[in-house]
Amino acid sequence: MLPISSRSSSRLVVAALSALVGATALSGCTNRLPALPEDPRRELTGVPFFPQTIHQCGPAALATVLGATGVTTTPEQLSPLVYIPGRRGSLQVEMLAAARSKGRLAFVLEPRFADLQAELAAGNPLLVLQDLGALGIRRWHFAVVVGFDPDQDVLILRSGTERRRLERREQFLHTWKAGEYWAAVLTRPDQPPATATGSSFIRALTATERYLATESISGGNAVALARWPADPLVLLANGNQAYAAGQLATAISRYRSLLAIEPTHLAGRNNLANALLDAGCPRQALAQAEQSASLLPADSPLAAAVNDTLAKARAADANASPSTCSAE
Amino acid sequence: MRFRQTVVAITAACFLALGLQTTTASAGVIGTQDYLSAEARAGHLADINAAISRADVLAQLVSLGVDPANAVTRAAALSDAELAQVAQEMNNLPAGGDGFLAVIGIVFLVLMILELTGVTDIFKKF
Repeated sequence: MLPISSRSSSRLVVAALSALVGATALSGCTNRLPALPEDPRRELTGVPFFPQTIHQCGPAALATVLGATGVTTTPEQLSPLVYIPGRRGSLQVEMLAAARSKGRLAFVLEPRFADLQAELAAGNPLLVLQDLGALGIRRWHFAVVVGFDPDQDVLILRSGTERRRLERREQFLHTWKAGEYWAAVLTRPDQPPATATGSSFIRALTATERYLATESISGGNAVALARWPADPLVLLANGNQAYAAGQLATAISRYRSLLAIEPTHLAGRNNLANALLDAGCPRQALAQAEQSASLLPADSPLAAAVNDTLAKARAADANASPSTCSAE
Repeated sequence: MRFRQTVVAITAACFLALGLQTTTASAGVIGTQDYLSAEARAGHLADINAAISRADVLAQLVSLGVDPANAVTRAAALSDAELAQVAQEMNNLPAGGDGFLAVIGIVFLVLMILELTGVTDIFKKF
């Protein structure tokens, strides 16, 4: 047995521990990565960078993705909206809510790497949640994916204090998995993400409505109608917008397109009845109102509106003068 | 602390009142927002639940150190579905914050244990 002094054995233990901890903390840097010069063909070079201060990766990552959509803000300004001192971090839903309050639509992607690639290709950086922990200890971290190089199989991120962090795809997927591959994209109200559907877009637009100017909402509806002309929710939203603006002919046309696709659409038929009433067509309105009332399920939260429409249509039909109806 | 709890209670009461008021349907037409929330819930019970969740989230944020005025804005910015999730899981949901201090803490803890068990003597000088 070799004589080992207690001092040197304790040094050995400390050295081994330091190595272990170092490897844990910098687990991303253990693989040798290729030198990857910045290249606009595979990464969004214009995405800003805000180095995080301690625990503030949430506000920093949020300022980064918001900045990419043209919102001028800083992590310091966002911190009161998302940081929770008692959790030493930020929650995903609050990150999305804060983005909405800045007038940006927030979309959570399907948990697929292909969707992440599709958004990058469309010019949208992605807010991602990673678990950088090890040894069974969670260490949640928000970062922003700005690029992917398929040849090297390497992702490029704005992360923590690194403006251009490179991570092998395999390593990224490992850290991304614990948070169920959560990724979010933020866009202007008239720029639907590549992976959006008509329904997801209108939902995002509606959730952000109270922070948006009327022109921004109508801009978003118009873009949605052009991209998803046969989506029931897109048609309902556009019909409602036209109705609110007093454009009855357009509203009637949108509601009719919707009902041609989905004849049992309760809200669509109810709103068509209202538009027909306003257009001076009580007979047609009553027919629609009776249909929507017959579609009404028990305990529907829409019952008040539907019954109200039916009552109005009955009264108007009873007092109908010679028809001025021009909607056919 | 008592002051904070009072503030929370009062704001929570205001939210309850607000939450119940916003459900009145406007004459006949069903707005896109109303349509979507009707799809997600059934009836007034859900409205009351949402108001309670909002007050609950508000109180939890304040107890976790968020400034009460900011907590009001933040609770108001969440959708019904988000509120329900956060109200139940505030302490379990992932909170992205890098956790670097946690790593340092673990190092310290391990060194401490080694010191106490006599394997090392690095803290002797302090």
